Amino acid sequence: MEPVRTTEIMAVAGARELRDGETVVVGLGLPQVASVLAKRTHAPNLTTLLEIGVVNSNPIDTPAGLADSRIFHGATCWSGFLDILGMNLHRGVVDVGFLGALELDRYGNINTTLLKEESGQVRYFNGSAGGNDVASLARRVMVIMRHEKRKLPLAVSHLTSPGFPGGKSRAENHLRGNGPHRVITDMAVLGFDPQTREAMVVSIHPGIRAQDVIDNTGFPLRLPAEIPETAPPSEEELRLLREEIDPRRVYLR
Amino acid sequence: MASKLKDVAEVVRTIPDGASIALGGFAIARNVIAVVHELIRQQKRDLTLSQCVMGMDTDLLVGAGLVRRLIVGGGSLDKFGLVQCVNRARENREVEALDMTSLAVCFAYLAGALGLSFLPIKSLLASEVLERLEAGPGAERVRRISCPFTGEQYVALKALNPDVALVHVQAADEQGNCHIHGPKWENEEQAKAAQRIIVIAEEIVPTDLFRQHPTRTVIPAHRVEAVIHQPFGAHPTAVYSCYDYDSEHLELYVRHARSRDGVRDYIEKYIRGSRNFAEYLEKCGGAARLNSLKADPVLGY
Repeated sequence: MEPVRTTEIMAVAGARELRDGETVVVGLGLPQVASVLAKRTHAPNLTTLLEIGVVNSNPIDTPAGLADSRIFHGATCWSGFLDILGMNLHRGVVDVGFLGALELDRYGNINTTLLKEESGQVRYFNGSAGGNDVASLARRVMVIMRHEKRKLPLAVSHLTSPGFPGGKSRAENHLRGNGPHRVITDMAVLGFDPQTREAMVVSIHPGIRAQDVIDNTGFPLRLPAEIPETAPPSEEELRLLREEIDPRRVYLR
Repeated sequence: MASKLKDVAEVVRTIPDGASIALGGFAIARNVIAVVHELIRQQKRDLTLSQCVMGMDTDLLVGAGLVRRLIVGGGSLDKFGLVQCVNRARENREVEALDMTSLAVCFAYLAGALGLSFLPIKSLLASEVLERLEAGPGAERVRRISCPFTGEQYVALKALNPDVALVHVQAADEQGNCHIHGPKWENEEQAKAAQRIIVIAEEIVPTDLFRQHPTRTVIPAHRVEAVIHQPFGAHPTAVYSCYDYDSEHLELYVRHARSRDGVRDYIEKYIRGSRNFAEYLEKCGGAARLNSLKADPVLGY
């Protein structure tokens, strides 16, 4: 069998964080792959929502983005932003928000708006779209991203979507939802200290050393004395990912 | 009832410089490209555009230099890349961008559609998105408030009532009743918030079709001012159940949009160099190319 790819470990780690019966707002890419995997394994009763107004779609072709008709396929309900981000997320019935990030800092604050180059030049990206809404309102937030020092800075260059701004509690920040819960990278799974609200290591992926994780993180990262290894994908999870969910390896590169 | 069918050039002549326009597209889906082309041919100026998620529609209008202000949640061309003309204009401060979130723009439209002057939202708090709005021209659109009943903190969003809403739909009748297949993103709220609704339809169908399925009518005729019939009018973006996005043309556009010169060449060749949308479609490969994009009736793409 082909060796396990890092993206496959990430997708599987993401899927295992979702519990059967939960409602999740899903962003495009690995979050989408992870939620489909969860649904086809331990969480058949997961409800997946896309912000543009798609409930429980079941794509049979890999979509190019959220606006791709391929991602509308097999849905049980088509509505719009007002329904998904309003009457579900704002209403308070979304358990998990699943996001990507350009940058994420030690308090789980997310930047998807801009980066500042060393010359001082600002470069713009996609902005919030539904990201700030999801981070502000979902019961728990999960992020999937690459583990690089510049992507995990002490403080984000633009706070698009709040985690625990200023290290303060969600209530002190007037935010609903419990904030960031897990950050799944290509090296580790991170969580947040309930007291200090700082990111800490939950597990490290097979073959990665703790020092690699520290060296590639732009903020001081708390490590437990005994660091668990992220459980590797099972044969069945790999089969589903490779044969059914993303056979052309659009996202599982 | 009299038909509201109109020619795109005739309709665009009624949109004045400085108008505020709600665009019905999302990334690379159902963009009002036929109207965007005509706005560019008629060289409109100082437009304010609003949209939850910008796509090729907004990117082209900004690239053509028609836009003064954006009120948006975000922007993307999905896997084809970023909204490069918009981002370049922002980086060079050539456009005033009021960044909000998808739900904030949708709530501002909803307030406008309900005749409310504002609606409260629990997004935006404790973010730089809000701080940037408060520090610039966006300050007129947001206020931190507390609930008169519970004391909870909210952001009050000023209602958006655009002068014109432009929405591309799969089917309309000559009076303006509209069907939208697939997700509707913010189309209903933005249309009903606007002073004037202009609909671009792939197909004109009999009113009896609406009488058979009245619950499917998203925008009803009595609110619609004009109906433009333009098959493939969203090309190269996708229209669910009608046609897929045109990957080759989107890639061609993205290559041009990387630079000012590139986007100018694109606009000269495909838009200003075409007398109408039919000529543009010919340049993109005509009937043979368009037929290859037609949706499978079961899959919808």
